[in-house]
Amino acid sequence: MKYGRVYFEDVKVGDELPPLVKGPIQQIQLTRYAGASGDFNPIHQDDEFAKAAGMGGVFAHGMLSMGFVAQALTDWAGAGTVRKLGVRFAALVRLGDVVTCRGRVLARSSRADTHLVDLEVWAENQRGEKVVAGKATLALPSRV
Amino acid sequence: MPIPINTGVVGKEYPPWPVTVERGRIKDFARALGDLNPFYLDDQVGAASEWGDIIAPPTFAASFRDERADSGALLRDLGVDISRVLHGEQEFESHRPLRPGETYLCRTKVLDIYEKTGRSGPMAFVVRETAITDRAGEVVATMRHVTVVRL
Repeated sequence: MKYGRVYFEDVKVGDELPPLVKGPIQQIQLTRYAGASGDFNPIHQDDEFAKAAGMGGVFAHGMLSMGFVAQALTDWAGAGTVRKLGVRFAALVRLGDVVTCRGRVLARSSRADTHLVDLEVWAENQRGEKVVAGKATLALPSRV
Repeated sequence: MPIPINTGVVGKEYPPWPVTVERGRIKDFARALGDLNPFYLDDQVGAASEWGDIIAPPTFAASFRDERADSGALLRDLGVDISRVLHGEQEFESHRPLRPGETYLCRTKVLDIYEKTGRSGPMAFVVRETAITDRAGEVVATMRHVTVVRL
């Protein structure tokens, strides 16, 4: 099931993505993401700096959670299928948080050889609070 | 007392910058997310795929930076300190996956700045868009980035 391939004909409106659970978030992952992304804002690395900035301590890059949401999509539908992904960062992800990524199919459409599926996507923490919310469009292969 | 923000930056286009995607950066980025998809990490799987090589994960372009420029240019233009900024929204539109060895040209423009008062006080929303084109000048991807400044 992991690294699946989904065909357009097999998707129905209302279908849910298999949830992807990430974390608990550790400082080392934020440091690693900083290195990989080039986002070295100390607010994600230095607890004193984050406290002085009024943020109550270190929190994760929003883009880390967005990357998790993208993974939930590609684990299900396959790499290279994401045409659009747009999210709002709704709440901070803290060290120790567990992030669960979810999604639901809103619509499907075909034009010529392109078969698109629109989804609402979101990620929530261990208290069920949304930390990321948005929409995605996937281009899926057809069986015909 | 809220800090001022320089809304004169709206409409500003930053000088275009090239990015050559390195194979190792794609793999580091995927591993940093904990995404071990073989289409990002395994050269043999990539070679046998429809793309003929590994591809980058959907959010990889967020790592594109103008290495010749000062990374604080936008914040300096806005007149705000890094400790005041949060990432509000992000959007990617992709026409085809980004690939190792390719050189892309990125063009960033400040589209809008608007202010709102939220639960935590006054905030400014800075909307930027980056168009990513290939050597033939075709748009491969577009990123929209909303930065929140706590005023």
